[in-house]
Order: sequence, then C-alpha cells, then structure tokens
Amino acid sequence: MEFKVRAYRFNPETDEKPYYKEYTAEDYPGMTVLNALIKIKSELDGTLSFRRSCRSAICGSCAMKINGITKLACKTQVSLEIDKFGIINVEPLANMPVIRDLIVDQEVFFDKIKAIKPYLLGQREDAAHNRFKTLKEGEKISQPVYDKSEFKNLTGNEDTPNCILCECCYSECGGVVGNKNYLGPAALAKLYRYAEDPRDNDKNGSRLVNGSKPNGFWDCVHCQSCEQFCPKGISPVKSIVRLHEKSVKNSITFSPGSKHVVSIARSIGETGRLDEIKVAFESGGVTGLLNDLPVAFGAGLKGKIPPLRHKLIKDMEDIRLAYKELDLEDKL
Amino acid sequence: MITYAYYPGCVAQESGKELDNATKYIASKLDLNLIPMPEASCCGGGVIDGFDKNLKLFINGRTLALAEKEGLDIMTICNTCTLTLSEVNEELINNPESLEKTNEYLAKIGLKYTGKVKVKHILYAVRDDIGFDKLKEKAVKSLKGIKIAPFYGCHILRPSSAVKFDDVENPQGFEELIKALGGEPVSYARRTKCCGFQTILVNESTSTSLAGNAIYEAQEKEADVMVTPCPLCHLSLDTYQTVAAKNINKKLSLPILHLPQLIGIALGADYAEMGFSRHNVSLRGVMAKVRQNEI
Repeated sequence: MEFKVRAYRFNPETDEKPYYKEYTAEDYPGMTVLNALIKIKSELDGTLSFRRSCRSAICGSCAMKINGITKLACKTQVSLEIDKFGIINVEPLANMPVIRDLIVDQEVFFDKIKAIKPYLLGQREDAAHNRFKTLKEGEKISQPVYDKSEFKNLTGNEDTPNCILCECCYSECGGVVGNKNYLGPAALAKLYRYAEDPRDNDKNGSRLVNGSKPNGFWDCVHCQSCEQFCPKGISPVKSIVRLHEKSVKNSITFSPGSKHVVSIARSIGETGRLDEIKVAFESGGVTGLLNDLPVAFGAGLKGKIPPLRHKLIKDMEDIRLAYKELDLEDKL
Repeated sequence: MITYAYYPGCVAQESGKELDNATKYIASKLDLNLIPMPEASCCGGGVIDGFDKNLKLFINGRTLALAEKEGLDIMTICNTCTLTLSEVNEELINNPESLEKTNEYLAKIGLKYTGKVKVKHILYAVRDDIGFDKLKEKAVKSLKGIKIAPFYGCHILRPSSAVKFDDVENPQGFEELIKALGGEPVSYARRTKCCGFQTILVNESTSTSLAGNAIYEAQEKEADVMVTPCPLCHLSLDTYQTVAAKNINKKLSLPILHLPQLIGIALGADYAEMGFSRHNVSLRGVMAKVRQNEI
C-alpha cells in the first residue's frame, strides 16, 4: 500500500520559517513510522533530519509528534496510523526549541532532570547501608526501590524507575505548555522515585520542600497526558499526586497548591460538598482573593454566586466516619 | 425510559447551576429519568488523593455503593467527577485489597459495593442510550450554519485506562452529536487539550494561558461558539475569558456553552430556560442565528 508522509521541515540556518514536505512511501507488514522515515532518508531525501538509535523502544531517541500525538516512531505502526488518520504527519516534540526538522534542543528538559537532584542524597548513618560487600556468585544486588509496592501500584507495572527519558510526557504536558519553567512530569516522577528511596538520606525533607516551590509539583494541571502517552506505561501524574500526599502528610503546606487540596478536604469533611468561595479564599489567601475579585464581581453580576452557607448532604455522618476511620481529622 | 442515578457534582449545583437546569430540561424531553442522589458527597475535585488516597476510595466508593443499592448506573455531567468515579470504580473492581478495605468502611454505614455500577458522562449516555437518531427526531431547531468548536477537555478522555468512552487519540463522539443536531463541528488541535482549571487558584497564569489559547485557536477557525462537557472547563473558558485574553494578549470573545445547553437549544429551549444570562460572554448572536433555523 502506498501512503503519504507529511514531514515538518525547518533549518534555522537557511529557512525563514518552518514548512511541510510530503513524501510517498510503500508500506510493508509491520512497518513502523521510523522504518518509513529511514527509508525516506536513504532513498528520497537525505536532508530529512531526525534522531534514532535502538529501534526497540528503549533508547527514547525517536520520540516525535505523529498525527498530533507524541509517540516513539519505532513503536508506532504505519498501518494503524493510516487506518485512523489516512496520513503520517510527523512533527518535532513540543515544548522544546527546534534545532532542525524533527530534532529538538533537549537542554531545558535535562536541566530540569538535574534540578531535582537525581541521585541519592548524603550517606545514611546506619553502618549496614554504607558497607560495601563482595557479592557471591549468582547473588542479586538488592535494589530496594524496585521492591516498593508504591511503584508497583501506580499503573500496575514496576514503573517509575523505568523511565527512558524520551520526553513524550514533557512534549504532551499541559503544565509546561502553560508555564515553560514548570519542571514537568519526567523530572517530578524522578523526584518521587528518590523521595521514596529508602537509601536516600534527605534529613530535612528538602526534596518535598523544594518541589513544593513555584514551578514544582503543585503546578501540575492534572491533564493526564503524561500517563496516557508514556510509551513505557509509567504514570508521572500518579507519582506527582503521591508527592502531594506525602507533602500534606509531612505538613509541608506552605504552597497555594497544598492549601487548595487541604481546603477541599476540609470542605468535604464539614459539609460533604465543595465550598467554592471558601476553597478560593483558603487557597490563595487575601492576595488571591483580591486578584480574583474582578472575576468574582463579574460572575456575581451575572448571578453566578455559590451559596455562602452550604446545606449538609444527607447522611453527613457517613463522611465524617470516613475521615475518622482514616485518622484524618487532625489534618484538616 | 432510561433511568440513571444522577450525580451532577458540586459546581453544577453552585456557581454553574445553569448546567444542572439545562440537564434536567433535556432529560425531560429525552425521556431520561434522573434519580437524585442527596446522600452523595463531592468526588474530591480531582485532587483529593493528594490529601489521602484512601479518602478518595472511601467517599467515592460510598457514592458507587449508593447507586448499586438502587440497582442504577450513574450519569455525570462533569469531566472530573466522571474520571474520579471511574478511577475508583476501576480500582475497586480490579484490586481486591482496595475493595476489601473500602467495604470494611461501607459495612459500618450499612452499604456494600460489588462493582456492578457503570459511570457514564451525559455525552456518551446520549450517544449510547438515547441515540442520535432519537435526538434528531426530538429536535425542533436545527443548528445548521453554526460553527461549533467541541472542547472535550481532559478527564472525559484520559487516562483511557479509566474512562473508555471514545478514541483518546481522535475522539468523535462530540463531533457526531454536533452533526446530528445539524451543526458544523470545527476541527482544531486544542479540542482535546487541557483548560487549566485544576491550577486556576494555584497558578492563574498557567491556567488561563491554556484556556485562552484554546479559545483563540477556535476563534481563528471561525467558530461561532465553543461547547464543553465540563463545568470546570466552562469556568476556565467563560468566567475567566477576560483574564485569559489579557494573559495571552489576544482579543477573545467566544461564547461558551455547556453541552446540555447545546442540546437544549435544539430541543427548543429559550434563552431564559438555558440560563444564558449567567454566562460571561453573551449568547445572543448564536441564539439569533438559531432562531432563523426552524426545522
């Protein structure tokens, strides 16, 4: 079967602006988008530039936008894309500047990975953890982080440490689209991986404190794209939510994001409902309220005013019991 | 008549009351019997697991158990409620440990959950249970000549491990509904992207730039109106539209409809019945166009 590939082309040294070039290729059973691009490069146009290496969905080099969604080209079947979209549109990853054609500058992405300190902090004081020992033949190195049920329960895989840094999540992340300084899903999933590592010696909770600052894990927009489009089945957003929970449980609640979550929990614990006015006030404080005043005033003029006092839901004692059973009353 | 346990969520009962009213209006016209759930609590607004993941299980497990006790499936009108209830449902069905823990709590309040309830958003309840043919039959106004930009948002589509109504890469349910009502769906890239609502009180700039750019793109594609299946998206897109315009430094003036309002217009509802006076961006232009379209 013959099919069309429409590729994003841009060489900043010679082109004024990006353009698209169309190629025709011949499909064969099992052909991947990467196979198609390699064929085009070797037979039709040697100038088409893209990263690639392992062809086995493990190096993460060939991530790109395919028909609008970020995927690994080597893991994407041509026939499935053609069935759904009738064409193969290829574009560079989003949220990063283009170097040439489908190749992006990854520096910002890796700077953000470095920013979360992707290594074990300090040395634990208990001698057993610091003692090097020779392994016996056939003995496996114990990697406690892989055994933690926390990681296994996120998406059913032993997932968070399996990130291949392909940048699919970063390219699809709504938080980065809205704020280029946001750390993004890959870095924050890694932050969680270290925050949970029993070998890490983060004595003063610096990982959670730093991650709670602006551009950190409270800036996640919960768009779920990172989980949806991760080619390795990892759920960065679930890791981010675990960081939220870990911060609240450790009383690291200085950020508006944590205040927002605690306020919603408090509101439900009091009435069973979400009190919009109270949550707005408690999340942003006086500054937030003043900032939102024009919007609130405009909405008020249109009659969009939530009730000032909320009726309790029927059988409210059931909800109170849930808080009691989970020992959450003192967190409100 | 199709019967559902009706879970409107908090916003549709508070600042977004027009959505609840529009839903009840179309339900009466489409023989949809919506049973209220006065005991149901807030789902946690999509962030409650950031406070405690078991609390998310308990309060939403309770909502599911309330519906199961009545032998009913749940119909939602909010993307985030849909996702939260669906995620908890999946967890309780697939994880015996979570089900046991939740049922220990539920037993203390006289409830039990066995995993029989389905959670369905109204968009897909209309598609699957009422059918677009019946909708066409009941319509008294055509939306012919009106360019309608569907804004799916996130939680009705993603993650597809929990919400399984449509093709997550190229959803068509919304477009099919618009076509069934005679309207012209506008195709634009941000139709499945995020409105930013979840950070609107935390990082307004991030949030409104997402909403603003979606509105701007639809406007550039000459949309007359945008429609959303979620009251949270509606707050971002309509209530915060002026702030979004300032943030992205673009002129924005696109009316935003709740999905049931779009159906309501086709079923003959007037301006007041749909609560259009509560919207930030006026619907008068769109309604004037519709008025000319008698079937």
